[in-house]
Amino acid sequence: MFQWTELLTLISAGVAMGLGAIGSGIGEGFAAGKAVEACSRQPGASDKIMKTMLIGQAVSESTGIYSLVVALLLLFAAPQGTGIVKAAALLGAGICMGLGAIGPGLGEGYAAGKGVEGIGRSPHEEGTILRVMLIGQAVSESTGIYSLVVALLLIFVV
Amino acid sequence: MHEIGTVETAAFDLGPLHIVFNPMTVMMTWIVIAVLLVFFVWLSRNMKKIPGRRQVLLEMIVDMFDKLVKDTIGEDHRKYFPLIMTIFLFVLFSNWIGVVPGLEEPTKDLNTPMALALVVFVVTNVSGVKYKGVVNYVKSFFEPVAFLFPINLVGEIGKFVSLFFRLFGNIFGGSVIIWVAYSMLMKSWWTSWIMIFLGPALYGFFGLFVGLIQAFVFMMLSMTYISIAKN
Repeated sequence: MFQWTELLTLISAGVAMGLGAIGSGIGEGFAAGKAVEACSRQPGASDKIMKTMLIGQAVSESTGIYSLVVALLLLFAAPQGTGIVKAAALLGAGICMGLGAIGPGLGEGYAAGKGVEGIGRSPHEEGTILRVMLIGQAVSESTGIYSLVVALLLIFVV
Repeated sequence: MHEIGTVETAAFDLGPLHIVFNPMTVMMTWIVIAVLLVFFVWLSRNMKKIPGRRQVLLEMIVDMFDKLVKDTIGEDHRKYFPLIMTIFLFVLFSNWIGVVPGLEEPTKDLNTPMALALVVFVVTNVSGVKYKGVVNYVKSFFEPVAFLFPINLVGEIGKFVSLFFRLFGNIFGGSVIIWVAYSMLMKSWWTSWIMIFLGPALYGFFGLFVGLIQAFVFMMLSMTYISIAKN
C-alpha cells in the first residue's frame, strides 16, 4: 500500500521552506542594500547602521524561521496518521506557512531598509528610529504569525 | 529530551474543577521569579544618598525604563511603570533561562505568553475606560463608520493574539531548531564535534539575541497598545 501521508509530508516540508525563504531573502537583501547606501552617505555612522541593519534583518528573518520550524516539524515530528484528510492537512500546513511567510518577510525587510536609511540621514535619532522600526515590524509580522498558528493546528490538531 | 508536540502534564481535582497544568513550566516560572527577586533585592539593598556601584547600576536600569515609558505612555506614566518593567524583566529572564542546561523557557509553553497578554489586555481596556469614559471608549469601536464595529473588534482581539503568538513562536521555533540539530548531530562521535562549535552559536542567537529582541518587542507593543487606548 502506497503511503500518501508520508509522500505529502515530504512535499509539504519542501514547499514550506522553499516558498518561505523568498520573502525573508528579498527583505533582508533590501535592508542590506539600504545599509550600503547609508554607509556611503554617512561613513562615520557605520557602526550604528550596521547594528540597526542586523537587528532589522534578524526580525525580518522570523517568518523564515517559522517556515523552517514547520518544515522540521513536518519532517521529524509529524503525527503518523493514515487517511486522506490527515494527508491533506499536512500538505495544507506546508502551503499555508510557505505562502504566508512571503508577505511579512518582504514587508519587514522594507521597514528594516527604511530604518537603516533613516539612521543614515540622522544618526542622532537612532533610539527613536529603532523603536518605531521594531514596533512597525512586529505589527506587520502578525499575518505571518496567523499562518504559523494555522499550520501548527493543521499538523497537530486536525 | 521528550518528543516535540507532546507536553507532560499533571492534573488534580479541586472541588468541581479539573485542573491540568505543566509542572515544568510552573517550576521554571518559580525559578525565574526567584532569580529576579534575589538579583534585584541584592541590587537595591542598603541604598545611600551617594550611590555605590550596585546602586548606580540599578539607577541606570530604572532611569532608562522610566524615560522609555514616559516617551511612550505620556501622562501618569508612573502608574504603568512597574507593570511594564516587570513584563520586560520577566520575559527577558524567561527567554534566557533556556540557555542553562536542564532548564526550559517558561515562554515555550503557550500558557505563559497567553497569561501575560491577558494581563495587558485587561490593563489596556480598563485604562481606556478610565481615561476616555465608558461612552467614548465604546464609541471608538464604532468609528469611523458604525458598520465597521465587527472589524474593529476582531482587530482589537487580533492584536493580543499576535502579541502572545509572536513570543511563543519565536521561542518555540528556536527550541525546535536546537532540538533537531542536537538529535541529528549527537548520533555519532564525529558529528558531535560539530556541536561543540554549533551549540554555543545556536544558543547565542536563538536564546540570548532573539530572547532579548522579543522581550523588548513584547514590552514596547504592550506599552503602545495601552497608550493607544488611553490617549
